[in-house]
Amino acid sequence: MTTGVMMYCFNTEFYRYDKIAAKTIPLVKKNLGVEVTLVTNMETYKLLPPLGFVNYILIDHETGNQIDRKPWHNLDRHRAYNLSPYDTTILLDLDYFCFTDHLLTYANTNEDFLIHDKVYDITGKDSYEFRNNSIIPMLWATVIVFKKTDRAKKIFDMVKYIKENYGYFCSLYRIDFKNFRNDYAFAIALHQMDGMVPTKKIPVSLPTLPAQAKVVKFDQESIVWEMEDKTGIVYDTDVHVIDKGVAHV
Amino acid sequence: MDINDFKKQSEKSYGIALAKQNALEKAKSKMIMAYEGHLFLANAETINLVKTLSELHTSPFYILDTNDNPVEIADPKILLEKLITKNQEVLNTYHETYKQFATLR
Repeated sequence: MTTGVMMYCFNTEFYRYDKIAAKTIPLVKKNLGVEVTLVTNMETYKLLPPLGFVNYILIDHETGNQIDRKPWHNLDRHRAYNLSPYDTTILLDLDYFCFTDHLLTYANTNEDFLIHDKVYDITGKDSYEFRNNSIIPMLWATVIVFKKTDRAKKIFDMVKYIKENYGYFCSLYRIDFKNFRNDYAFAIALHQMDGMVPTKKIPVSLPTLPAQAKVVKFDQESIVWEMEDKTGIVYDTDVHVIDKGVAHV
Repeated sequence: MDINDFKKQSEKSYGIALAKQNALEKAKSKMIMAYEGHLFLANAETINLVKTLSELHTSPFYILDTNDNPVEIADPKILLEKLITKNQEVLNTYHETYKQFATLR
């Protein structure tokens, strides 16, 4: 049985994701000790620094989505099931900084699809409250651990279907965010595939550093952030960093 | 004390409170462990349940994992040992961090 990490990396005219990959992939390799597959395009691939042994899958990514009026290349996540070469895949957002081996615990279970339904703001500001933005609880597609099972395949296929009919599903679930978000696509897919009843997810919260917190220092052990004249440090815990400025620290 | 001292004290307290909260969240996260393909939280409740059942019930017995799946426990001794080791490993780290907060006040 093989276990590996899969990440997506597509530069835009505004953000250099290759520079984020150069920080997060070595962390994954060091702390999880498993193979990494990076799904990218030729344009981004040419800018990536040498990262040791990494599987590269070059695709023509789908375009058209935006966030804050900037291009957002997040429309290919549903392809992860077919693209992954592993029996158990830890599918991560590129901006997930893996400072521990904790994700291996989730890969070590019989569960065929695990995803976070809770988030934890490490600045203590409780920035994430989406209860009023839809009638379905949002999930966090930042970390997904899946196995190659029929159920997992159906979930990814359902995400593709939702993506193609996103306007309809936004209306159905009264989702305020009209741009495509994998978080909601997976929330809807699981809701429907699991029979429209709440089911259990990853039992702990996803530690997240919100966009307002700017990363000022990064090394292989920690991240230092600043927000409203306050400084904090993250170490010995994984963290999802929203501030894209982390690319240049 | 003038207003600047109050402000400094307030910011310091915020920093300590946040660090404490993050350390506790980290500890809870680290208490999750995998056993026989299932996830368990190595907290006092799970330890007490496994210990009680192992003493008052013949093996095998059944408990629920974090996702409410029933799990047959054939050898409670091994599970109990793993739960206690994980629990104390995490709490030991948390204790070391907590001691630093006490000196910061």
